[in-house]
Amino acid sequence: MNWVSENIALIGTLVLLGANILLLFPSTGRKSGIPGFLLLPVTLAALGWVFLQPTGDLVRDILFYMAAGTAVLGGLLMTTQRNPVYAALWFAVATLGVCGLFVINSAPFLAAVTIIVYAGAIVVTFVFVIMLAQQEQGSGYDRIPQQPFLATVLGCLLVGTMLLGIEKTFGPDSSRLSVDRTALHVSSLSVENDLGSPGGVGRSLFTDYLFAVELAGTVLLVATIGAIAIAPRRPQGSL
Amino acid sequence: MSWEFFLVTLITIGVAFGGLMGTIAYLILVERRLAAFIQDRYGPNRVGWAGLLQPIADGAKFLLKEDVIPGYVNKTLYILGPSIAVFTAMAGFAIIPFGPVDQAPSWMRFVIAPDVNIGMIYIFCVGSLGVYGVILGGWASNNKYSSLGSMRASAQVVSYEIPLGMSIIGVVLMTSSLSLNDILMHQANQGVLGWNVWTQPLALLIFFVSALAETNRLPFDLSECEQELVGGFHTEYSSMKFALYFLGEYAHIITVCFLTAILFFGGWQFPLIAEADSAYLGATLVKVVVLLTKVLMIILLIMFIRWTIPRFRFDQLMNLAWLGLIPMAAMNILVVMTAKQFDWPIWTLPLGSLAIFVAAGLIGTSGKFIVSDQTVDFSESPEGYVHVHS
Repeated sequence: MNWVSENIALIGTLVLLGANILLLFPSTGRKSGIPGFLLLPVTLAALGWVFLQPTGDLVRDILFYMAAGTAVLGGLLMTTQRNPVYAALWFAVATLGVCGLFVINSAPFLAAVTIIVYAGAIVVTFVFVIMLAQQEQGSGYDRIPQQPFLATVLGCLLVGTMLLGIEKTFGPDSSRLSVDRTALHVSSLSVENDLGSPGGVGRSLFTDYLFAVELAGTVLLVATIGAIAIAPRRPQGSL
Repeated sequence: MSWEFFLVTLITIGVAFGGLMGTIAYLILVERRLAAFIQDRYGPNRVGWAGLLQPIADGAKFLLKEDVIPGYVNKTLYILGPSIAVFTAMAGFAIIPFGPVDQAPSWMRFVIAPDVNIGMIYIFCVGSLGVYGVILGGWASNNKYSSLGSMRASAQVVSYEIPLGMSIIGVVLMTSSLSLNDILMHQANQGVLGWNVWTQPLALLIFFVSALAETNRLPFDLSECEQELVGGFHTEYSSMKFALYFLGEYAHIITVCFLTAILFFGGWQFPLIAEADSAYLGATLVKVVVLLTKVLMIILLIMFIRWTIPRFRFDQLMNLAWLGLIPMAAMNILVVMTAKQFDWPIWTLPLGSLAIFVAAGLIGTSGKFIVSDQTVDFSESPEGYVHVHS
């Protein structure tokens, strides 16, 4: 098929990624995850080779590879960890990697707020719940995925579709479906100045998206009042 | 990006890091001597003249002690805990200006990462990551007392982050900038009466109380309770890893004191000695000394508080945060926003702060607080419980 041969790089990378995830998944029969970890650098290199091209600015490239690699690695290991506490911590690492990408693309405010909200609040809550609820690491059937193959295939299909969509929308030649490496390079997308600074974010929120912001604020207020109304009142005592 | 820039950055980091480490070591000595003074006994006074070599002896002891890792702990997270605590405390120090940044000579910089226009958010963001050190340390120890200690610590830290962040919004609104240097310059240009301590006294109070809780200092050091309860999240830690936790804590205290001096007390500005336009010989260094003196004063105040006010209990602490500080901080933001919007004169701001404070005090002491059909009574609670009558 013509389409397949044009996108062979993308499909091959996705297959490699899927195989790696399958190898990293904990299972009952196999104890060691060493093959998965050995394949990991190959997968990361393939991802980089297909989607990334150096822009010429060495420092920026190194920072980009570090941040992107951290995000992908954190995501992979989060999915495949047997221990839920480690999974939550890898989620935090993946968030930090994504925040690094935000900083590189001159959106420091977004990066800081993402760290506060995700790594600082949400993952901490996850860790809390896991630590409180987890009794002796959970049972065996909780520690291995039920449908590893199906999950991997569907996930990789989803990622591939999204990447193709991005390429089709933002690529230089939208009619062509083959992966143009320069078009998909994230840091080559032009970023408007000042958009990521606190002032830029505020201006955009309170002019272009004012209605959405007000709506979200109202919904949050209603939710807060509802939470107070639902919360049980203790007749005596404080906590 | 020349090599000189790189070199200057490297030297700045080295100086800041070394200065911070040395200061922490000697602050512990100061704290011990101060505690001894308040409790009317001798502090450490044997090693060196007046005990001045005591920190070095302490450091040597930490290095030479056996590094015990119990067999039942989760080894990875057990080692990760103190590292995160130190790392976040050090990273927060990166954007603190310890001198007049604009007047610094080219070969000397007074901040490691200049021109960060999200300064305050960055500090809170790094601080919110510091919770991981506490949680992981407590959980990885695989010990009920440690787990309970880490629960207390993280619940406290998480609840005090909200008033801490809300209290500085007033200051940020006055300056229209999140950068520490801009906030400092805004005060310095207005002279001593422009210090935020005059315009935002309530914000200073909330900030300082929250900062004490955030850094786990008395009266909010529930996570540690060194003498009274069984340790805390660091029960299982020994030698250098224990020291790292306290290193992180003291670094955090220094950061917070710098923030207090810069946000509320005009930074390096001082009437007649160090004004914004003073240009006499060595003015830059005088400004650094002024800022460091202010910081030292605040650190001493924190140490005095430690040996003056008894520890809060857990539920009292939660009540203080959720029923006291957060509503007050929200009201303060409202007052500042209204004053900014309608261009009210500057003296309305302290008046507003005072009004909020008095109102909060009246509600707190007169004691009847009606929630739907029930009365929450604060006055009948000598132990700090909130009684609810329907």
